[in-house]
Parts: sequence; C-alpha cells; structure tokens
Amino acid sequence: MQAMVNKMRGKKGQLKTKKTGSFLAFNCLKSKKAQLKIQQMAFMLMAVTLFFALVGMFVLAIKFSGLKETAATLCEENAMMLVTKLANSPEFSCGEAFDGETNCIDGDKIMMLKENIDAYEDFWGASNIEIRKIYPAEAEKVCDIGTYQGGDCNTIRLISKNVSGFDDKYNFVSLCRKEYIDGDMYDKCEIARLSVRYNYNERC
Amino acid sequence: MNKRVKRGYLQISFAWMFAIIVGAFILFLAIYFATKLVNTEEKVLDLKTGKEIGILLNPIETSVESVKLTTLTFPKETRIYGGCDDNYGFFGKQLIQISQKGFNNQWTETEIDGSKTVSFQNKYIFTEDYTEGKKFYILSKPFNFPFKIADLIYITSSSDSYCFLEPPDDIKEQISDLKQPNLLLEGNCTGSKEEIRVCFDTGGDCDMAVYYDFDYVEKKGKRMVFKDDALMYAAIFSKPETYECQVKRLMQRTGQLASLYKDKALFVSQKGCDSNLDLLGLINMINENYENSNNLEIIKNKADKIEEDNDYSSCRLW
Repeated sequence: MQAMVNKMRGKKGQLKTKKTGSFLAFNCLKSKKAQLKIQQMAFMLMAVTLFFALVGMFVLAIKFSGLKETAATLCEENAMMLVTKLANSPEFSCGEAFDGETNCIDGDKIMMLKENIDAYEDFWGASNIEIRKIYPAEAEKVCDIGTYQGGDCNTIRLISKNVSGFDDKYNFVSLCRKEYIDGDMYDKCEIARLSVRYNYNERC
Repeated sequence: MNKRVKRGYLQISFAWMFAIIVGAFILFLAIYFATKLVNTEEKVLDLKTGKEIGILLNPIETSVESVKLTTLTFPKETRIYGGCDDNYGFFGKQLIQISQKGFNNQWTETEIDGSKTVSFQNKYIFTEDYTEGKKFYILSKPFNFPFKIADLIYITSSSDSYCFLEPPDDIKEQISDLKQPNLLLEGNCTGSKEEIRVCFDTGGDCDMAVYYDFDYVEKKGKRMVFKDDALMYAAIFSKPETYECQVKRLMQRTGQLASLYKDKALFVSQKGCDSNLDLLGLINMINENYENSNNLEIIKNKADKIEEDNDYSSCRLW
C-alpha cells in the first residue's frame, strides 16, 4: 500500500509519507480521490451549462430569424394595404377636379408633389411609389416637368429608393390631367398602374 | 477512527455543497433567461400587434363615403394606447402601443414612445389615454378643411358605451345610421354608472358637454373647439391633450396640402385652367395664427371662403 502511494505521489509525497506514516498516506489518497470527484463534477456541471447555453443560443437564433420574417411580412402587408387605398389619399386623389372619376389620381398634383417630395419621404412608409401608364405599351420613359407637359413620358417615379428582391404591390387607377388643345381645356384620363414597394432594411 | 469518519463526512458534504451552489447558479441562470425570454416575447407580440393595427387601419380610409365603421377583435384583453407627437418632421406622428394581459394576468409594461411604440406619420387616431377590451370599434370620417386633409380615426372599446343626450337631428340621424352598438341614443341608454354621458348644449350630470351651436366640447374642465362633425366626434372620443396635438398635426398637413394646391394652380394655369384661390393666405394664416384649437375659428373663415371660390371656379383644383 505504502509503495503504491509513494509511486503515485512521487518524491515529495514519499518524504511526507515517511514523516507521517501509513495512516496519513491513506487519508491523502482519499483526499486525492475527492479532488478527482470534485473535478469530475465541475467538468460535468460546466458541460451541462455549456450544453444549455448552446441550446439557448440555437433557440434564440431560430426565434430571431422568425422575427425578421415577421417584420418582412408586416412590411409586405403594409405595402399591400397601402396600395389599395393610396389613390384616395388627399395628395393623390382627384377629388371633384375631374368629372365622376373614382380611384382616380390627379397627375398634375402628383407632378407638383414629385417636385416637393422631401416632406413626404417617409410619410407613407414605402420606399418606392411609382405610377405607370399601361396603354399604349411602350418602353419606360420617366417623367419630369418638361416631358410631362409635352405628354412624352409614361412613368412618374414619386419616391424611388434602391430596393431589390421584393415584388411590387400594385393597383390599377385612372391617371387624369388637364389638357389644353386648340383653345379648349379638357380632362384626359388614362389607365395606369400604381405600384408600391418597401425596403426590407428600413422601418416600413 | 473518529478523525477518518469526520474527514469522510467533510468530503461528501463539500461535494454536495459544491453541487448545490453550482446547481443553484445554473437554475438561477435558466430561470432568469426564461423570464427574460418570456418578457421579450410579450414585447415582440405587443409591437407586432401595434404594427398590425396600424396596417389594418389602411383599408378604412374613406374615398367617397362619409363614414366607415369596422371592428377589431383580440383573443385576449388588450389596451390600445394612442399617443401623438406634433414635433416630428413636417407632419408629426401617431404613436400606437399595445399592452396585453401576460401569463401572470398582469398587463405588459407600457412606455409611450418607448421601444414598443410603433409610429405612423399618415394616421390620426383619436382615443382616450387608452381603451381597454377585447373588441374595438374603429370609426373613420374624412376631415375637409376646405379640401380633404385626412381620415380621422376614432377607436372605442365595445365595453365603453356612449350615451348621446338630446343631440341635434343630424347627429341623431348619423348615429342611428351608423349602427355602432356602443353609441346609444337617449331612448336606448341604460343609465348605468359606467355609461359615458354626452350632453348636447346642456351641462348637467354629464361626462362631457357638446355646445354644438358654439362649436366646442367641454370635457374634464377643458374646452376643445371643433369646426365640423368629424372634429366634434374627435373631441368626444379623445382626451383633450390628444385632441389638441392631433388637430395641430392636421393643420400642419393642411399647410402642406395648401402649398401643393398652390403649385398645382400655377401649373395648370399654363393650360388655361385659372383658379384664383388665396391659398398662400391660408398657409400664412396657419403658420402665423395656429397655436391651439381656439384659433380654428379664424382659419375656418378663410377655408370657407377658399372652398366657395373653388366650388364656383370654372377649373376646380380639388
């Protein structure tokens, strides 16, 4: 027994054993065993903690990826709901300026809005608002005041931020304007597509 | 021998002590993070619900209708807090916050304009500090001043009944046509203490008095001036501070829209569409005179004149 203890403890232990005798050596061995047990338990507890921490992180990662999806869905829903009613908002609607039109957008007013869009940049929570005449089907010509007056354009980009990867939500509307030909003024209304897009990274 | 037994006991008790301390620590951490997670989940749900309410309010914007009513039902008891900020950007902003009863039957925490608040610049919601219940009535009415400014939204809980006492005939007709179950006319009022009594042109035993002919509502000792029925309902259904803030936001939008119509008038005049409306006068009047609803009177006179000019114009701007 003594020999075994000495073998385990080395020279220092050997010296001690010699001094204290076999009874103490037995106790030292027991203490060593206890230390080993505590170490085992400590490792076990650490492993358990680590395991739960990892599981927690995994759950959180899944949760937050879901959260992003929820935010995106809400933004999409907002765009969808917005586009159905945008034509009725005071900045867009014809009111009674054009005869008997419903779901009608006042083109002249929209062009003025486009010129002063800074105030309205985040007003509707959309990243892109665009109105495009759908007939006749032509290549896209973006309107500015000059081309609009000459009737030489088909797309009014009201708000246009860089957005990619998301479908437009759109609705069909009447796009009306005042026209003046040969001394006569008349209302010209054309069918157009009002589309709204949102930016995933911005608050919609 | 005794010494050996004692040491043995010490060894076991230390191991147990160690296990108990570390175990308790792990349990504490687990409970702490679980509670945090539940709180976060509740916050996320409140935030999501708030956003959804804002989104669901989009379709109730009116087009040619004079009023629109819809209901909103939640699966559990909910408080809808409405806030207003008139100092944000060009139009101020509408704040919405939701508080629902949590798993321990406590209301989730609220802090208007805090992290759980959602905001919308294009909405005007008139409500008391908060409305509580499972089912809510959402009423929407356009506000014209003189052109359409916005749709005003009034949110009331189905558990709050409003009893209208002696309203003028046109208001009686509107409420009767609306068929909103919590808006009661005199004959249908129950007389219970919970009922909110709205008296017309008389003070008496009422929660608020509407002086219809003098264009003001008196509520909680405060006077709210209105200039049309849409604003009158707004004053009835909202707390005075919210009313003042929202009307200020409406005036900010009136100014922006007047500026838009002024530009449009100049643009279409090149096509022979002349409309001599004093829109610049209206813009200046709003910028210089508007402080609170008491100033509506003077601006209203200007707005009425502009409306009349537009109605008789050969080329209407709106």
